[in-house]
Amino acid sequence: MIDPVIIIFLTGGLFLGWSLGANDAANVFGTAVGSRMVRFTTAALICGIFVILGATISGTGTSLTLGKLGAVNALGGSFMAALAAGLTVYWMTKFGLPVSTSQAIIGSIIGWNLFSDSYTDLSSLLKILSTWVVCPLLSALIAALLFTLAKSFVRKVSIGLIRLDGYTRLALILAGAFGAYSLGANNIANVMGVFVPVAPFTDIQVGSIFRISSIQQLFLLGGLAIAVGVFTYSKRVMMTVGSELITLTPLAAWVAVMAHSIVLFLFASERLEQFLANLSLPTIPLVPVSSSQAVVGAVIGIGIVQGGRELQWQRIYSIVRGWVITPIISLLICIVGLYFLQNVFQQTVKRESQYQLSSGVLEQFRKAGINTDELATLTGSVFFSSAEVVRAVKAVVPLSSQQGLKVVEYSLQNSLVINAEKLSAIDEHFLSTQQLEALKQLEGEKYKYSWQLGNALAQKSKEWELRGDGLKNKLKDREIKRKLAYLYRLFKEEEK
Amino acid sequence: MNPLSLLFKKQYAVEEKVQRLLRFLEDMAHLYQAAYEAYLEGSIEEFSQRNQELGEIEKKMDELGHQIQMTLLHESLMPNSRDDLLWFLTKLDKVPSNCKHSLGDILLEKPEIPEELHSSMKNMLIHTHLAVQALAHATDSLFSDLRSVRQHVEEVSRQESEVDKIEYKLLQMVFENKKYDLAMQYQLKGILKQIGRVTNLAEDVADAVLILATKHST
Repeated sequence: MIDPVIIIFLTGGLFLGWSLGANDAANVFGTAVGSRMVRFTTAALICGIFVILGATISGTGTSLTLGKLGAVNALGGSFMAALAAGLTVYWMTKFGLPVSTSQAIIGSIIGWNLFSDSYTDLSSLLKILSTWVVCPLLSALIAALLFTLAKSFVRKVSIGLIRLDGYTRLALILAGAFGAYSLGANNIANVMGVFVPVAPFTDIQVGSIFRISSIQQLFLLGGLAIAVGVFTYSKRVMMTVGSELITLTPLAAWVAVMAHSIVLFLFASERLEQFLANLSLPTIPLVPVSSSQAVVGAVIGIGIVQGGRELQWQRIYSIVRGWVITPIISLLICIVGLYFLQNVFQQTVKRESQYQLSSGVLEQFRKAGINTDELATLTGSVFFSSAEVVRAVKAVVPLSSQQGLKVVEYSLQNSLVINAEKLSAIDEHFLSTQQLEALKQLEGEKYKYSWQLGNALAQKSKEWELRGDGLKNKLKDREIKRKLAYLYRLFKEEEK
Repeated sequence: MNPLSLLFKKQYAVEEKVQRLLRFLEDMAHLYQAAYEAYLEGSIEEFSQRNQELGEIEKKMDELGHQIQMTLLHESLMPNSRDDLLWFLTKLDKVPSNCKHSLGDILLEKPEIPEELHSSMKNMLIHTHLAVQALAHATDSLFSDLRSVRQHVEEVSRQESEVDKIEYKLLQMVFENKKYDLAMQYQLKGILKQIGRVTNLAEDVADAVLILATKHST
């Protein structure tokens, strides 16, 4: 039975999910519904189903990047981060300002980092910020290309008006379904990503093959919240988007939705990432991007192909301004909200963690390329926040942003006990035979740091070995890290 | 069975009705020419027969047009295309109505058409027939192959321009001939204008077809 407090805290994420459904569904089906090419009920049904599928099946990739930016480690903190983002999205929509859930949640996470004195990984932040520029540009480029191709195809193919109408409508529905799937896959991390480190569910095994992880359950719940947002509130927004973009022909509307969906999919698909890696091509970062940015980029791309005369640059400027304001407002609301939640409502918004440097930790630092020659003086010192430990190390040796993340990861104390009871609770299908065998050999062992378990497992079996940063090993390593994260949660010593 | 025909059943049904409407339009153009020719040959009986047939076709076209409009209003075409098609059908409907009224006036007035005008008038009727036929082809293309709309529309314009030239020549003949009194001159002018209006309308509708084709293929 889930604690009612947990349910109350999850409402923050559900509210954000609802806001996302109410607003961002308009980016997928707005042009089609607003210009009455597709009925609202048809659009809402398709959108609801595919958002849930996308969130549950392909949602995990982007949440990892968001987790690197800041792992909100207490349910109260996750609640406030999601609520602040949801309120920002809701209020800015009310005032008619175009918003992005992605930007709102980034603002919230940084707000939590500042409030809890947690380390902000600048490289992850820059990676996310760069997509705010790349996403609309890429979308514009794809839309321009697709529009030129589609127009030339329609001109070359022997087709009449009514069939063209029917095919376009079908294409719009299919593109909308793809868009909704991509939206769910890419943006679920915005809605539920902050709850991943504190996921309150246990994994569910259905039959011998089908398994729903706690994160997938969390994402399913988020997907449902998005679907409710689509059904209850998106019609108004869709009509607004549709009538704002009414000059788009059905073909252009299809192109806009397709370009938006492709971009969201590119930034969410782990399989595509692996495919590119296998071909030794540069991979696309798995980052939650803004669907509003993608659709605006697509419309600009189409406008430019048509000569650019109809583009309303003033409107575009106000949209871009909204993208800058959103994270700042969300950050401020989050900090104020966390203060009230902690000091007025006496709720835990950050879990107390201890960071300690030991010789073993220094060895891990050394492997991560950190100069440890002068760090021995810090051995035994205890720090109470991730930002504090990074500051202390940085005062002695220079650190890159990535190395800062390693300092946090390796110095975090997380007592683990490998006991028989928990070992028997592990699903046999989740780990390979060799992995499970290696784990069983560690029964009775205790660890002070999570990475110690990871190292011990790697020594027992090659299947637990992380291969390194090579592109081709990225997905395999990510899978091992996911399994390790599960084990760290499972074997964590209960606090007395 | 073709899965597309199942998926686009409603669209295909509208297309089939439009095809029937266009065949009626072509038949009507043929009957219009035949009725006038019969009148010029002095065969009032045949003229009445053709006029009656044309009336029946016009009625069928009316009913079919109404059915298509209802289908468009109640079934699932995109509103943009639906509004365009309703506007177009209203325009197209004026062509058969005008033909019917043109023959109706002849039947009522039974004007005396001088022999010397017959040959040019027959020529004018041939071009009128060809203009309406080209319009039917242009409309057919609108529903089957948007690319070929333009060539049929250009054909309508060509025929209309021919009709205009013949009409002007005939009007000159009518008003320059002192044997005809003023009443006859104005009666003949009315008849010629009535025939000319058919091609003018055909050209109007053809322009609408071209606008729709251009709009929907970009």
